[in-house]
Amino acid sequence: MPSRTSPQQRSLVFGLIFIGILFTAFFGMRAFHAFRKFNGHRPPPPNKFETDVELIRDWMTVPFISRMYQVSPEIIFEALSISPQKDHNKSLKELNDEYYPNKNGYVLELVKQTVSANLPPPTPGSAPTESLPPTAPAP
Amino acid sequence: MSTFLLTQVINFGAPLVGLILFLGALGLPIGASVVLIAAGAFSQQGILNWQSTALIGFVGAILGDTLSFGMGYYAKDWAQNRFGKSAAWRNARESFMKSAGPAVFFTRWLVTAIAIPTNLIAGGSGYKFSRFMLYDISGEIVWILLYGGLGYLFGSQWELVSDFLSNFGGLILGLVIFGYGIRRALKWQRQVKTNKIGAG
Repeated sequence: MPSRTSPQQRSLVFGLIFIGILFTAFFGMRAFHAFRKFNGHRPPPPNKFETDVELIRDWMTVPFISRMYQVSPEIIFEALSISPQKDHNKSLKELNDEYYPNKNGYVLELVKQTVSANLPPPTPGSAPTESLPPTAPAP
Repeated sequence: MSTFLLTQVINFGAPLVGLILFLGALGLPIGASVVLIAAGAFSQQGILNWQSTALIGFVGAILGDTLSFGMGYYAKDWAQNRFGKSAAWRNARESFMKSAGPAVFFTRWLVTAIAIPTNLIAGGSGYKFSRFMLYDISGEIVWILLYGGLGYLFGSQWELVSDFLSNFGGLILGLVIFGYGIRRALKWQRQVKTNKIGAG
């Protein structure tokens, strides 16, 4: 290697090692914390409906929530005072922005309460799923 | 962006999953891995059909990879004219050719952040398309089965999986960069020693 490229080589090598350490430390910590969240959580049993309303997110639609929690969509739409025909494809956030623009997070909270109050009674063998802290999807 | 797409996946189903994986394979930062894990969870919840979603998603990802390989291939002459005389370019090409297969395979599912540069370099370095396809298809199958499968397994708790996998991918990328840096340092030291002996 010609000596005139040595400073460039050195910068590149140190840069790579530095960035590598930075990435490893940053994502290593985040991966470790994410892994710790698994503690105590096992995959939910198949063919069992969800009971933890804290898993409801504002990107979900009413029919999706209805299917997930086995609660009739009419009950949810009625609680929101919204027409089920026109708005069944809209997310909770879109419904909030359209119908309750001055009440941030109102639709999400109301849907959680409505679903919680209308969950079907547990059948033998259908243990409720464990509650999780709310998390946002990774960017 | 991801949350908007999740709502649309609920509404439009498998074809949209295919389109998102296609665009993701072209390098658009739209969170294709997140959507894939969510699609697995939606399949478990009965919103999507897992067979058709996996198939359409696979086709979308392969088409996107093929197109980005093609972009590298057709930019080959330009890159050769621009950087052909550079020793660094020749070294990078040679070292890529030595481990191109594993690089293509692992960037499909383990270090997804560098999948697009890998496709472009593979196309631009004259790497055989049939070989690229072999490793690409194998890697995409692992990606779809692993990410989609974990989403399916964890159902409504899929966000835990997504959070862990995205950070784990970053950790592996950091280790790859660090390892490459160390390798370059060792090579550089050897060259310095050789030069000193030659000069002495």
